[in-house]
Amino acid sequence: MRLKLHTLACTTVLALGWATGQNAVAADPIKIGVPVGLSGANSVVAPSVVQSAELAVEEINARGGVLGRPLELEVADDGSGAAGAKKAFDSLIYQKKVDVLISMETSAARNAGLPIVTRGKTPFIYTSFYEGRSCNKYLYVDAWVPDQQVAPIVDFFRTTYKAKTYFLIGSDYAFGRGMLQFTRGYIEKTGGKVVGEEYLPMDGSDWTAIVSKLKAAGPDALVTSTAGGAPNVTLTKQLRAAGVKLPYGNLAVDEGTAKSMGPDAEGIYISGSYFTNVDGVKNKEFLAAMQKKFGTGLKTPNDLSVPQYEAVYLYKAAVEKAGSTAADKVVPLLGQVSFEGPRGLIRMNKQRHAPLTMYLGQVQKDGGIKILESFKDVDPGDQCPSLK
Amino acid sequence: MSATVLDIITTAALLYAVAAGLLIVFGVMKIINFAHGAFLTVGGYAALAVTHWGLNPWFSLPAAFVAGCACGMLIERVVMRPLYSRPLDAILATWGLGIILGQLITLAFGREVQFVRSPLAGTMNFLGTAYSEYRLSVVLAAAVLAGALGLALNGTRLGLNTRAVIMNENLARALGIDSARVRFGTFSLGAGLASLAGALITPLSSVDLNMGVPWLVNAFMLVLVSGVSLISLGIACLVLGGAQVLVSTYLNPILGGLTIVVLAALLLRLRPKGFSRD
Repeated sequence: MRLKLHTLACTTVLALGWATGQNAVAADPIKIGVPVGLSGANSVVAPSVVQSAELAVEEINARGGVLGRPLELEVADDGSGAAGAKKAFDSLIYQKKVDVLISMETSAARNAGLPIVTRGKTPFIYTSFYEGRSCNKYLYVDAWVPDQQVAPIVDFFRTTYKAKTYFLIGSDYAFGRGMLQFTRGYIEKTGGKVVGEEYLPMDGSDWTAIVSKLKAAGPDALVTSTAGGAPNVTLTKQLRAAGVKLPYGNLAVDEGTAKSMGPDAEGIYISGSYFTNVDGVKNKEFLAAMQKKFGTGLKTPNDLSVPQYEAVYLYKAAVEKAGSTAADKVVPLLGQVSFEGPRGLIRMNKQRHAPLTMYLGQVQKDGGIKILESFKDVDPGDQCPSLK
Repeated sequence: MSATVLDIITTAALLYAVAAGLLIVFGVMKIINFAHGAFLTVGGYAALAVTHWGLNPWFSLPAAFVAGCACGMLIERVVMRPLYSRPLDAILATWGLGIILGQLITLAFGREVQFVRSPLAGTMNFLGTAYSEYRLSVVLAAAVLAGALGLALNGTRLGLNTRAVIMNENLARALGIDSARVRFGTFSLGAGLASLAGALITPLSSVDLNMGVPWLVNAFMLVLVSGVSLISLGIACLVLGGAQVLVSTYLNPILGGLTIVVLAALLLRLRPKGFSRD
């Protein structure tokens, strides 16, 4: 009997909730799938990405949703890799039946998910910086590619430190290799020389031999491109423990990771489209809203989480312009709409990619980033010439 | 060149610290303890807790050892003891235990990758090579560990009993040795040693749930080729760990990651006794 009463109470509450819900928003929610690496290599940064998506959804719903429908997030752990991504994309597209995928992921996960996106005909906004040239009918990217990011660091090393020889270290996967391949090309094009290029598997944590090779090669500067999170940290710690004090450009560190690495991160040069201290009213409003919503649980917003926030708004703009969530209508419009976000005006109108304002920064003792230079509206170059 | 030699010695020391606990458990129980990687992770998180409490980073070593021993004692009594007559099930149980420990750690510490302060930062000049102070101190720690284990096995009553159980458990029991107590002692000690090794590697690494996995496979192979002898284990660590460093340095670090496993398999094929003398 006790059990029955309980069930009855539940049903009543549910019914009431349903009834009041009816008044607030009349329609089915628009579902946004967010496959991210809550475990594995990306686990350091993934919570911040989920938080910024939550803020965007809350803000939009508070103002009446999109086409009168509320937005709803469906977060799935992709384990930061290909195997997990297949499961995450499958379940989001075919079981949860999401209307769009908006996510920051490893390149391995993105590449594993794309065939499922194509089959499921679901728009996909990728919000992580990556090695570039990933082209798919349903894919848009609102973060940077090597063409936008590498030049500021290499140019700075060449002019400030007169660096001629470079050593490159990466994780052995699409992003690591892609970024360093571009970096090598850019260094050689600008008259420098690469004296070593080494990789470790993505889950590798023992950089001993590579660090010794680096010291033996004696280059003027070091550029690394590992998977975010654990490999980046282990490499940096082992470099510092081995007393490496070269000018050190890190293509994969974000502000949050830099902060949690503590004193080991000091002095690292990074280049990106967002740091928490970039100028602008929109950024101040965004940070204040994040602080208000998450309080002490706030994960530092960063170059991976802010594009996620903006992408939700870009999707909203495209759906409103299309007047529907139908993929064939929304996909072409994603390249036309724009949104003024914390990083400035974002528009994914260059072959599915976005021209962005880029900054060169250096990690300070307290983990904060000092912005040394900024470069306005840097073009992503020819990423997907065959896609309009 | 001398940097390579130091790389070999420090890598062998790390491998020795990680594999010693596994070897002892293997010797007494004749089973590979797949929860070894999880005990390693326990040590990493014990070091993390020490960092969170703002204590001296060196304190993480005893803290990890105690935490590991405590886990080992509990698990031996509750899970392992009823399975001693079913060694295959016991191996499966250790595998499952690894998963359970991982999930418990997730509940307590979260899934994300975390960091521990290093007790020693920077380098020192060692025979003309500037080398990481912390890595050199790991060699010292491994040497102390090897010495202490050697003394415990050869100089104490419990050590004598343990060696007797390793050689022939039935005969030892017939002589009145309480083999259940020896098993309890060694399993707890093995867990404590794994956890200690976990705390030793964290300053060079990150603390996450899978931190034990890459080490477990290598430790497993090293134990298989070294029979049940701490001395052969030392030789195996130097030879195979050295090969790993050489391959990583002169060929390719990705191949380097496979070296220990491949060489150990080859060695077992050609000389089933591996590095053990008898």
